Amino acid sequence: MPTEAIDPPGISWLRVSPRYLTARLLGWGAETVLVTAALALPLALVLAGAWRWPPLWFAVALPSAYLLLALWRLVLIPRQVRAVGYAERVDDLLIRRGILFQRTLVVPYGRMQYVDIAAGPLERALGLCTLKLHTASAGTSAVIPGLPAAEGARLREQLTARGEARLAGL
Amino acid sequence: MNGGTDNWQRVHPASPFVRGWLALAALFFFFGRDAAERLLRGGPVFDERFAGRAPWLLLGGGTMLLLVVAGFVLSWYFTRYQVAGGFVRVTTGVLVKQHRQARLDRVQAIDVVQPLLARIFGLAELRFEVADAGQSAVHLAYLRVAEARRLRAAILDAAVREAAVGEAALRGAAGQAAAVPVAQGSGAQVDAQLAAVPAAPPGPAAPADPPERPVLTVPPRRLAGSLLLSEQAVVLLLGAATSVLLSAFTENRSFSFYLVPAGLGILAGFWTSFSKGYNFTAAASQAGIRLQYGLLDTLAQTLPPGRIQALRISQPPLWRPLGWYRIQVNVAGYGTPGQDGQRSARTTLLPVGTLQDVTVLLDLVLPDGAARPGSDQSFAAEAEGPDAHAVLAAGLSGLAPAARIQARRDPAHTIGDTDGGFTTTPRRARLLAPLRWRRNGFAVTGNALLIRTGRWWRHLTVVPHGRTQSIALHQGPVARRFGVVDLVLHTTSGPVAPRVIQAGLAEGRALLLAQAARLSPKPQPAGNTAEDLQEGPQHG
Repeated sequence: MPTEAIDPPGISWLRVSPRYLTARLLGWGAETVLVTAALALPLALVLAGAWRWPPLWFAVALPSAYLLLALWRLVLIPRQVRAVGYAERVDDLLIRRGILFQRTLVVPYGRMQYVDIAAGPLERALGLCTLKLHTASAGTSAVIPGLPAAEGARLREQLTARGEARLAGL
Repeated sequence: MNGGTDNWQRVHPASPFVRGWLALAALFFFFGRDAAERLLRGGPVFDERFAGRAPWLLLGGGTMLLLVVAGFVLSWYFTRYQVAGGFVRVTTGVLVKQHRQARLDRVQAIDVVQPLLARIFGLAELRFEVADAGQSAVHLAYLRVAEARRLRAAILDAAVREAAVGEAALRGAAGQAAAVPVAQGSGAQVDAQLAAVPAAPPGPAAPADPPERPVLTVPPRRLAGSLLLSEQAVVLLLGAATSVLLSAFTENRSFSFYLVPAGLGILAGFWTSFSKGYNFTAAASQAGIRLQYGLLDTLAQTLPPGRIQALRISQPPLWRPLGWYRIQVNVAGYGTPGQDGQRSARTTLLPVGTLQDVTVLLDLVLPDGAARPGSDQSFAAEAEGPDAHAVLAAGLSGLAPAARIQARRDPAHTIGDTDGGFTTTPRRARLLAPLRWRRNGFAVTGNALLIRTGRWWRHLTVVPHGRTQSIALHQGPVARRFGVVDLVLHTTSGPVAPRVIQAGLAEGRALLLAQAARLSPKPQPAGNTAEDLQEGPQHG
């Protein structure tokens, strides 16, 4: 299937930090280990002879199926990270994400209510942050993950300044 | 601001009892039930075993009653409100004080609500909505009806004046500096000019209700008809038929028992809809559009001009032969309607009406329609290309031609199909939506985006450009296979979720860019953009 980007041509996208890939991979690793361990519990119990009910094939198939899915997601993660992008235009901010399920969002600066910057422990360790824009609509999910902390701060200041210049309120 | 401590007023003294009648009733019920039962059985008022303790019980009950009443009185005493200096302020709370103030020019809607009990006592509740979906920003319960109406008029009058001041200030600011961030400056200007505007004194000199021009009413017969022709009625009939048939064939009567609670539920729903929508009247005034309705509980909503964020006209299949439509709106502050009838009633602009009613209301509520009396910039005048009523008709009932000659000539299928001004889903995606592809479409007018969809359940959504918060293109793998995208417009929460379904990729992209440009008004001293700027600055 040819993958044609849905975003309008002629926009130079800024990409997120490559370290965001590390963050995603670490997150993926932790999640996979935990869930696989939990799903492998019946297998261990069956092998130990404590449980009789789940047949051996099922106890094997359950974690294996999850692992396969997780591996497929692992293959996708670098592509997903590369697909995240944002572009500051004169009057609005564009945010895109996704390869299989693509989304391109336009938020005019004047419609912004406030800007959030959040950083979890893993992100902080990698020097990253997540920026979130809020408008008067709950449907606007304008999130830029994996920004370097300095770029996040710059973007926040920039967005706030531009937003104040174009206030349109409700 | 020049508010000060003067002009603080209290709500009506009877209001705590009207609000708390349930608690009082519960108290009486609790203490009175046993005694009443014993009386009915012919016994003494008090159980023999408790007879000795009766004074104590009475004392306890009396104390509780006194405490409850004292609580009511205290809460009434400490609830005060004031409309002055461009703000409405309310203080409540006996131990924990709450002081709340809301800017008058940020008003999104004002409702005067009269529950049945309040109506008996000639009282009304005033609700003041700002753009914070959820609870009402300010609600004063209860005032005398006349007082509530007068206050509403005063607030609306002040809001209109301050919006005008804000607009003037912003126009000045926009004229002098296009590139410089002027928000701080213009905010200060507005404040300065607000101080210059004399505060609306809520005294005898306060403005009366502006004259109203009745626009339409919904006759009770039409309302009842619309309920009988609703989906619920069909479900009820089908359920009844099924259970009767099943009972007849299986000779088992128990099937009909399942029908009773379901039928009662649906009938209760009918009653709620009927009593909420009864005597629906819409009127136009300078302060905005006013909706009044209700059989037992009555509600009068006032929506100032330009407060409608999105609007949807829909027509269920059974209404089609009668040409009836329903209009629902998103208003900031009203929020998403839940299961309760009141909220869904509040977001209904027209419960059931004819095409003519729809046209009249659209002209009233869309930007520049009712906003400037005497201006010719109505919805009709604003539509580009063919005249608006043709666009409206195409949006409500139009259907793109099934086979398109031009599409065959154009192998790339880059240009979408069109019908009456609407760009519809390209023919190549007809397998994706075999029924709807000829309906799904969008059209752009001077001040709004029109989205139509639905072959059986017809919908036409109107989103003013100045009210769209953000736009997004969505595409999944299946849509990519057919070369179509969805365009989602984000507005404040409400029953309307505007989405252009399955537009061609090229048209979707072009629409995204064009809408983005329309959403960001260029700072020009005059013209269409004044409509966006008149909102005034953000409150800090």
